[in-house]
Parts: sequence; structure tokens; C-alpha cells
Amino acid sequence: MHLVAFLYVLGFLSSVWAFSTAAVNDLFERNAAPGASKHTNNWAVLVCASRYWFNYRHMANALGMYRTVKRLGIPDSNIILMLADDASCNLRNKFPGSVYANPGRHLDLYGDNIEVDYRGYEVTVENFIRVLTGRMDSSVPRSKRLLSDERSNIFVYMTGHGGNEFLKFQDNEEISAFDIADAFEQMYQKKRYNEIFFMIDTCQANSMYSKFYSPNILATGSSEVGENSYSYANDNDIGVAVIDAFTHYILEYMESINKTSQMSMQDLFDTYNPDKINSHPGVRSDLFNRPLNKALITDFFGGVAQAEVVPPMEELLDDVYQALPDAREETTTPVDIPSHTTPALTFTPPSNNRRTVQLWAGLGLMGGLVAWVFSRPTTRKQVS
Amino acid sequence: MPSPLPASLKDPSTLFYQSHAVKRSVITSYWIIILFSIPLWWYTTSIQRLSLPEARIYSYAQRHLKIPVEICVEDDGVAPKLQDIFASRLSHESERWGDVEPHFHGRSHCPDTPSYRVRNGPKPYVRENEIYLPLYDQHRLSSTFDVLADLINPCREATNHNNRVVQFSPQYRLAFTLLNEDAAMGSSVSNWDIQAGLADRIKPILNQLRPLHNFTIESQVQYHGRLAFSPQTNDESHGLTPEDLTVFINSAEWSLSSSASNDPVIHFVLFIPSTAHRPLHILTSGGNISPSKSFLLPQWGSITIHNPPIDDAGRNNDLASQINDQIFHEFSRQLLSLLGVPSLPNGVEHHASDSTILSRWQIDALKRRRAVENTKGAQETLMSIVRLVNQIDNMPVKDDVKGDVQGALDALEKTFSAKSLQDIFKSSAEATTLASRAFFNPGMLALLYFPAEHKYAVYTPLFASAVIPLFVAALKEIAAWRRERREGIERERQ
Repeated sequence: MHLVAFLYVLGFLSSVWAFSTAAVNDLFERNAAPGASKHTNNWAVLVCASRYWFNYRHMANALGMYRTVKRLGIPDSNIILMLADDASCNLRNKFPGSVYANPGRHLDLYGDNIEVDYRGYEVTVENFIRVLTGRMDSSVPRSKRLLSDERSNIFVYMTGHGGNEFLKFQDNEEISAFDIADAFEQMYQKKRYNEIFFMIDTCQANSMYSKFYSPNILATGSSEVGENSYSYANDNDIGVAVIDAFTHYILEYMESINKTSQMSMQDLFDTYNPDKINSHPGVRSDLFNRPLNKALITDFFGGVAQAEVVPPMEELLDDVYQALPDAREETTTPVDIPSHTTPALTFTPPSNNRRTVQLWAGLGLMGGLVAWVFSRPTTRKQVS
Repeated sequence: MPSPLPASLKDPSTLFYQSHAVKRSVITSYWIIILFSIPLWWYTTSIQRLSLPEARIYSYAQRHLKIPVEICVEDDGVAPKLQDIFASRLSHESERWGDVEPHFHGRSHCPDTPSYRVRNGPKPYVRENEIYLPLYDQHRLSSTFDVLADLINPCREATNHNNRVVQFSPQYRLAFTLLNEDAAMGSSVSNWDIQAGLADRIKPILNQLRPLHNFTIESQVQYHGRLAFSPQTNDESHGLTPEDLTVFINSAEWSLSSSASNDPVIHFVLFIPSTAHRPLHILTSGGNISPSKSFLLPQWGSITIHNPPIDDAGRNNDLASQINDQIFHEFSRQLLSLLGVPSLPNGVEHHASDSTILSRWQIDALKRRRAVENTKGAQETLMSIVRLVNQIDNMPVKDDVKGDVQGALDALEKTFSAKSLQDIFKSSAEATTLASRAFFNPGMLALLYFPAEHKYAVYTPLFASAVIPLFVAALKEIAAWRRERREGIERERQ
């Protein structure tokens, strides 16, 4: 019995040790990279696929998103806005030069600083696919290009009239879910993104992201297949619906987010309320590799992820360039890491492999002992 | 027999257009036109898909670029020992040495044009392609090797470092901005001596990096650039928390570079806080004032904060030349770090007689790194072109794409066979540029995808109405012809 007890204690201790090193290492890794996105720049592609006055609300949707991403720090040079742009100066607009986001006209989305990159008849399926895949004529100016790379997080927002697996572009042509999925795959192959957040507000919107097959894409839509998306409200003076319900409630939530907010995508999705929106919004996260509660809203709507403070020059007027910061990582303090960086050369954290082996060895030892003890009840009885 | 027609009406069989020959030739001509137009329709609607040299792409994509480095050691006995140390390091640093392969030769076995020469000297320093190191101290041989290893193949394990360096491009634009938060409040900087700063601190570096990149420079002075947030204030001084740094750039209002070209831009901003926010310091995560004055945004550029003394008269002054020099010195450091130029290892010095800022060792290490990146990039791009063309059926492949793919493959071939580092780098850059150009070819846009049901939905209403009468007429005529023939045969029998 003493031997059994001893082995039991040994097994227990070893498993505790394995667990605790695992926990410590986990903590270490989490702090070193707190579930963080690896991106260094953000882009947004905002598409309003409708035109004509009675589709006022779609323009308001896109402009609302434009205002939000801009407020949260994505520069105009990184926003591709595709907009028919025929609402603000429409003859039927009682409030020329304005596009309002809500009944009662409290917020003018048109403002004074709008940069529409693709306007009017330039909003076509072909141009949209060209923007995504980067297959442009060499004469296309910088402002119309998505110059993203493998460290870019891209927010793609689409709104308009759609149906099962398609979205109409200006009552003229349509884009299918397959087209977008193929375009994203081409972007993935050429490493044009780190992560994509795809949002679509249209009827049967969830069908639009059902065909995606490239990794690191998070998608959300306003309504299920067979379900319509509805507008939020009319403004009696404007005379048409001013914004769609899904976009309205997202923008409303976004107003509580600032540039340094730590709210996650999960928090955003938790605010979805089918009763208010009048449809059932969907989320697709199976292609996305990070847990939703670790993916910050500002990873997609924000500007910059990291900044790195450069240590001061020791000898300011010395000509010697030997003290460049990049070779000595321990002197550089990356901002998003609490200041416990370790000298990389003297200490290397135990590798994942070793930790797993420890964990399993401990568990195996303990399990074996338990099995052994239980499989020999007669011996135990005899001893006791 | 049908009853005879009244005389006023003609017998329909006597009308010329009711004669069988005319009727049948009209119907047949319709069918002939349709049949002949099918190949034309097929030809005009099919997508040109030239075959890509897939076998060659596969074979080149699997090759691994290993850049040999020939090192000539002054002493015959030391070289094999260094080679032994390398062999033992290789076993546990295999990832680091995946792309670079040093060969140490004793003096008597030296190749004609070695990459580097190692000579004996008490204190480590580099000059041209030579390094002076203590060679005869057996105990320090391992650390001697480490110095050489750091020079030839600098560690880049830290992910931060990788994130910081801008992606390779043959052409960069450097945008320098002197940004006053609010010059109207006085005591701001009205001008800086950009020409002197560039000439003294930036241009020498750019000249040395010319074999790798071309640079264009633009600069501007702005007098009003509001911050989008208010910095923390604690008695007399103002601070930027680490979170503030990430949102420091007020991209909605500041225009920091022109959009004249599609080259990647590296930004350098000298920010002068307004008197209301002066002095402005960077805070550590603990909330203390950090001694540093500048910070980097990975791949974007750098920001330096300068707090000039407050002028009693409230005038705006030019930047003092000494400060100007310091600032551009700071910019030059950050430029090197953004471009990924490795620094010399600890303790190794640049020889005083050498007036250049960067040693040849540093530039070579950068070239090696970029060559490896470019080769990998080109290989991956070529593979992805093949995969996509196979995967997406209606993606056109035209002559120019095929030409660029061939060009990229030729450049890759040159990369693998080239001897000198400059040639390896040059052809790798060409390979990645051509492969990207092939990928981004505007003609490669896959036509829109239509599911089969959509095609039926579009074509049926269009063609059914036209084709059905033709079919019916043809069938009727054939039936009539067969009936006539049968009747003719019967008549003959009778």
C-alpha cells in the first residue's frame, strides 16, 4: 500500500507539474501575443450596389460605414468607396448636399469630406472584382486600388438588392456568391490579405457568404435564405426609407466604439436582435482562425495595430551607426506587450512539443496508476 | 378528292412560293446559316486559355535557393575548425541556415574571388569585404564564429522585426513631413533645412542601397495638423500613452504623402506639438516618461516628436541646424530599420578609414535576405497562377501572361545558376516582379460565373421562340416529303 500511495502521489505531482508549466507557458505566450491580429494596416472596401432615389437607404448604409471606419482611423487612402452617389444631389432631395442616417435627420452622413472612388456607372461587378483581385490597368490611379498585402486586414461591406446567392448591381447586372468567393481565393493565393471581415446587408444575405472557401475570412449577413432584409424607418420629409435596420443597429453600436476600444467581434455579434432587425442575421466563422472574443472590432475598423517606441540615440552626435535598434530586440519596447521582454538569446521558452509531451506523460502516468489501483481490488482489501 | 375551287381563286399549289422547291430551299437555308454560325459562335465566345509551362513551374517551385558564401580564412588550420563549428550549429539551427551556406577555406585553398576574407586582429572590425577577428585563441573560436554568423546571416527570429520591415519593392517613395500641430499659437517651427538633412544623413544611405532599391523623395511643411485625441496631462507636461501612439496619426485630416505613383511610401514625420501640448512626451506602459522621442509604425514609417523651447515673443523659428541634423540622423536610423538593414553585431566596428555608413557585410546580408524572399515570392506566385487557372475554368490566359510567366521562370533559372550575389539578387527581383505582373494582368479577370440554371434561364426565352417555328417547319416539310414519296411509290404500283 505504501508503494501504491507513493506512486500515486508521484503521479499526481508530475501531472500537476506538467499542468502548471503548461499554464505558465500559456500565460507567457498569451502575453507575448495577446490573441492579437498580425496585421499592420487596414483597408475597407464599401460597396453600395444600387442607384436611384428610392434606394436612398443603401447609399446611407454605405456612407454610414464609411463614416465609421474613417472615424475609427482608416485613412481615406485605404478606403475604396463604391457609390452611385445620386442621392445627395437628386432633384427629389429636399435637403440638397446631404444624406441623412436617421429619421429626424440628426446626422448628415454626406458631411464635407467624402471621397467616392468609384461613382455612378463605375460601380460595376467587373470593377469590384478588379479592385479585389488587383487586376487593374496600369493607368488606374492609386486611390482606386486596393494596395493591400499579407499584413492587411480588409473590411468588405456590401449593400443593395439581392437574392439567393446574388446581389444586383444597379439593376443592370449581378454578382454571385461564387464570384466573390473566387475573388477572395485569388486574393488569398496572392497574399493580399491577413484577414477579411465581410459584411452584407441585403435580402437573403447569408447566402452570399455561403460559398467562401478561403481561410481567415469572417462573414456576417443581415438575413437568412428566404428572408427579406428590411429598412429601419422612413423620414417623412425625405419621403423614403433612410437606412436599413441591420446596418442601423450595427452603426448604433459602433458609435460606442472608439479607436482604442477593446470590444471584440463577439460583442458586436451578441448585439444582434432579430426582433428589432426583423430578420435573422448570420455569422460565419468556420474559416476564421481566431476566437471571436479575441478578434477586436478595431482589428477591422481601426487604423494601426502596433507602434514601436524607438530607444533614444545614446550618442546623439556620434557618427557611428553601430547602435541601430533592430539588432537588439531587448532594448526595443513594442507597445502592445507589457514590458517584460526577455533577451532572446539567453532564454528560449520551452517549445510547444516539449510541453505537450510533459503534459501527456504526467496524465499517462497518473491514469496508469489509477487503472492499476482499481484493477487490483483484492490486493487493496487484503492490505486494509 | 377535294371539291374543285371556284375560278376566282387560284389553286394554292400553283403559287410560286408554295412550290415545294422554293419552300424547302428557304427552310434549308435557315438551317444552313444556323449550322455554319455555330463554329463562329463557339470561336467568338470561347476564352483563350493558353497552356502554361506547368512542368517547368513545378520543378522550379520546388527548388530551394541556398546562397553559398565563400569565406577565405587567413590561417589554414582555423578554417576546418570554423567549418566544424558551423556543422554542429547547423544541427540545432537548421531553420536559420536554410537559405545561406557558408564555406570556410584555408588560405591555400581559397577560391579566386572569395566573398569575404577573415584576418587575424585583436579587436573585431570590418573593412570592405574583410573582417579582423582574433583567430588563434582556441577558446574564443566559437564566439568568433558567432560574430561571423551574425554578419553573414543576421538572426531574424523576432516577429516584431519581420513585421516592421517594409515589403520588397524595387521602388520606394520617402515622404518627409514637418508637421506643426498649430503654428498659429506661436513658438512653432516655420521651416527646416531639408536639403542639408537629406544630403548629410539620408542620401549617403540611399546611394549605398542603390543596388537594391530606387528611391524618390518628397517633402512638405504643414502648419496646422490637429491631433484627433487629447494627450494625457500631468502637471506641466503632456504624455502619449502606448495606446495613443497607435492612433496618433490623424489620417482623416493629415495628408502626409502625395498619391502620385503606386510605389510604396515610407513616411517620416517630425511633429511639433502646439504650445498647449508642450512638452509632449512618450509614456511607457507604466505611465512614466520614456526618454525616447520617436516611434515606428511597422511598414508605415516613423514619427519623431520635437519640443522646441517656447519663444517669449511667440515667433515661429526655423529649426536650428544642430537639431535639424539630429532629427535627420534619427530619420536615417529609422529608415535603415524599416528597410531591414541589419546592424553590425555587438562589438564589431566599422574601420575608421572606411567613410561609408554601411559596411559591405550589412548590404550583402540584406541582399541575401531579399533574394531569398523574392525567390520564395516568385515561386509562390507562379504556383498560385497555375492553381487558379486550373481551379477557375473561365479564367483567360493570354500571350502576355504566358510571356511574363516564361520571363519569371527564366529569371528564376538565372537566380539559381548565378554566381555573384548581385546577380542572384537582381534576377530574383526580376522574377518576383514578372510573376506579380503576370498574376495582376488585367486580362486574367475571370468572366462572371453563371450557374447552369442561370444559363438556361437566359438562353431559353431568347432562342426557344426563334428555334421552335424552324423546327416545326422543318418537321412538317420532312413529313410532307415522306408522304409524297410514299404516295408516289403507291401510284407507281397501281
